[in-house]
Amino acid sequence: MTVVSPGLDGALARPRRGLAFDSTWILWAAIIAVLLFLVVSPFVYLVVTSFSAEGTGEFTFANYAAAYGRARYVDALLNSLKLGAAAAALAGLFAIPLAWAVARTDMPGRGLTRMLVLATFITPPYTGAVAWILLAGPNAGWLNRFYMLLTGAAEGPFNIYSFAGLALVIALYSFPYIFIFTTAALELVSSEMEDAANILGAGAWRTMRRVTLPLALPAILGGLIICFLEAIALFGSPAMIAIPARFNVVTTQLFQFFGNPVRVEVAAAYAMPLLGVTVILILLQRLMTRRKGFVALTGKGGDRRPIRLGNWRWAMFGYAMLVAALSVFLPYMFLLQAAFAKAWGRGFALDNLSLRNFHFVLFEHATAAKSVLNSFIYAGVSATAVVILTLGVAYIATRRLVPFAGVLGFLCIAPFVIPGVVLAIGFYAAYAPPPLALYGTALILILAFTTRFLPVGYVNASAAIRSLNPEMEEAVRVLGGSRLTALRRVVAPLLKRSLLGAWLLIFIPATRELSAAIFLYGPNTKVASVMIFDMSEEGNFEYLSALALILQVLTLPLLYIGQRALGRDFMLRRTAT
Amino acid sequence: MKRIAGLALIAALTFTSTARADMKALEEGAKKEGELTWYVAHYTSEGAEDLGRNFTEIYGVKVNVVRTTAQVAYQRLLQDIKNNQTVCDVFSSTDLGHYVRLAAQGRFEKYVPETTPKIDPVFQNFDPAGFYHTTAAGMVTLTYNTAKVKPEEAPQKWQDLLDMKWKGKVSTGHPGFSGYVGTWVLMMKKLYGWSYFEKLEKNKPQIGRSINDTVTALNAGERQVAAGADGSTLASAVRGNPLAVNYPTDGSVLIISPSAIMKGTKHPNAAKLFMEYLYSVEAAKINAKHFGIPMRPEVPVPPGAKPMSQIKVIKPTAAEVDKGIPEVIEQWRDTFGN
Repeated sequence: MTVVSPGLDGALARPRRGLAFDSTWILWAAIIAVLLFLVVSPFVYLVVTSFSAEGTGEFTFANYAAAYGRARYVDALLNSLKLGAAAAALAGLFAIPLAWAVARTDMPGRGLTRMLVLATFITPPYTGAVAWILLAGPNAGWLNRFYMLLTGAAEGPFNIYSFAGLALVIALYSFPYIFIFTTAALELVSSEMEDAANILGAGAWRTMRRVTLPLALPAILGGLIICFLEAIALFGSPAMIAIPARFNVVTTQLFQFFGNPVRVEVAAAYAMPLLGVTVILILLQRLMTRRKGFVALTGKGGDRRPIRLGNWRWAMFGYAMLVAALSVFLPYMFLLQAAFAKAWGRGFALDNLSLRNFHFVLFEHATAAKSVLNSFIYAGVSATAVVILTLGVAYIATRRLVPFAGVLGFLCIAPFVIPGVVLAIGFYAAYAPPPLALYGTALILILAFTTRFLPVGYVNASAAIRSLNPEMEEAVRVLGGSRLTALRRVVAPLLKRSLLGAWLLIFIPATRELSAAIFLYGPNTKVASVMIFDMSEEGNFEYLSALALILQVLTLPLLYIGQRALGRDFMLRRTAT
Repeated sequence: MKRIAGLALIAALTFTSTARADMKALEEGAKKEGELTWYVAHYTSEGAEDLGRNFTEIYGVKVNVVRTTAQVAYQRLLQDIKNNQTVCDVFSSTDLGHYVRLAAQGRFEKYVPETTPKIDPVFQNFDPAGFYHTTAAGMVTLTYNTAKVKPEEAPQKWQDLLDMKWKGKVSTGHPGFSGYVGTWVLMMKKLYGWSYFEKLEKNKPQIGRSINDTVTALNAGERQVAAGADGSTLASAVRGNPLAVNYPTDGSVLIISPSAIMKGTKHPNAAKLFMEYLYSVEAAKINAKHFGIPMRPEVPVPPGAKPMSQIKVIKPTAAEVDKGIPEVIEQWRDTFGN
């Protein structure tokens, strides 16, 4: 028996509240205080700004009227919501089958698939978008040329400059969120439950649909929500694709509020409804997972055997390689070409090859090499902070250790949906002036990254904790250990792979975070994403590709470690003990 | 304008000796201050870093270079002002509207560089009140992909972009995202009326964000002709990319980018010295190396570019830019749909 009924789960989780003073309350209080400092102070500033008149600071609704008084601006918001839904759905289509195949079946190339998914993730969205313009541009895209060559048609069928094109590009570079969450959850599911379904007459397909995947539902929904929110908050890919496709989304519209004359107050008002969207999503997720139990880790161990797919395993492998082709193989052909080219516009030619771009970026450019180092350090520190903080918050929220614990969860999710360009203003106002006076320091970037990626950490940590049977912590308590001991000695070790996965999931996007960084970096704290953005502004695709590849190569060892850590325990028996 | 320039020249010649003494005092003061912070949207980031480094080599004064886009630089500056922080000493944006507004609010320290008479007269005394001064310039020109378009077929004047043969082959940036594009749209409207853009829309141009997106569109072969920036196009062409620039016979659109010293600067001497430096031959050479137009006429223009004296240029006034660009952005969105 490895699944605990939901009623029991709730009953076990509750009774601690209101009992005698527990020293770990100080820890909870500290975690909550940090959260309030990180998230609430910039948010209060933004909310106040959205109700302030420009210049005088008087209370007004005029900003909301200005932000939503025009059909054009409302359309942009609707486009963003549609885009988020489309991108999340597509990403789910890429991620969930792959996650299932990698975590539960004997598909060949599982390690390879994992590596490729992670490789997708470290591709800066801007470079992915440019590569896809080269692949599926309506006039000169290689896919179109290839199609015309094969069929003799006058024009190709693909047009990246479209709503569908943008949704595809965003989905291709955000599906790893769902993949990693879902594999982490699926790997915890014991084969016994699938065996039970089999014994009762369900086939492999039905078992997957009715037993295995539903057990991973919190993780899948969490991943979908993150993809949805990321699609809304992204600026790079929409700027490359939506503007030529002639439609506006929230971020491209917001950017224009920062044009001359700057209307920060209107921008803040324009971003506020996104918070409402986040609340609805969280409630929806809660509704969908309310009456079910997801406890898969009970401390009793259990067999985990791969499902034999027979010949289908090659079909599955084919699908994995198709997704990898779309996200890695095809785009990287162009990235490599540009990085090693004297002039990328000349196309593939031997006399066009050169190492100059790498030499320039690494040794001649004043700040490029340092910016890569900065990115790695800041992202690493932030990822560590987020993992620790969100583990604590998710634990408090899931086990309901304080009143209104659900609000804490919301605070963790909120920073993701507010586009970075607006959030950065809140960060600046909260952290830059005295008393903190963090202007131009590394710490302001670390704080901003930490806040910005709290949602990723939180979604992961809360899905992971929900898979844990509270019995194990209760055992610690019965034996006289504190909650902290339970957290440190039982919960964290049990979830270490999941937490490492979350660390990578934060580290990688933090190295490519642009919209907050661009407002907060100082002369000595430039980061790689800002560098890449500058190069894109200058039309320097050769240098940009070289820098992106350097980032990629430097991240490879991490991917290797991540892949080992994430996939290691699957074939071992009794992983939970 | 000309008379003022003449007066400034006479004044400068008369007071050369005092000016030299002033420069010495400025240098010493700057050395004591030790550093300055420069918010800059001019040049490429590499170019801005080069200038900062060169200044430090000459004067021993450190330059904290914060190179970013005009909008971001301006937004950062406004946030500084709002939070009572004086971080920025010299502000170099590419958007004239920023200067009109900041000057009206009294945010600048008045300073006219002594070296002004030595720069190209086109760039002198841009702000008669003396708060901001041209320190960089670029041009919007006709650009094309040489692998797909023969030089004799390439557009020679702005009206040529409206020719039906370029249907589906034109590339531009977006005035809502790029000051260069905004200025170009403003000048086209002034020359040919808004109907220019209604006709252009019939050719279904591909609208990028930045003016430099035209470089990407041309290099990829996705589009063949464009209204692009001379600097970034030539910089890409010199590497061997199939690009070329045509200076339109009806006028290349000159984009003036000023710099100004912020009021309340903690490093007034360093800031003034830096303004002088931006008008020096050394700075002009570095600027030309990074495909900018040199301020000093004696410095050769970048490879492939034509000197200012050989081409027809058109430019709006600062007031026209400040008032006109928000208007044309709205018109643009009505005509092109976003």
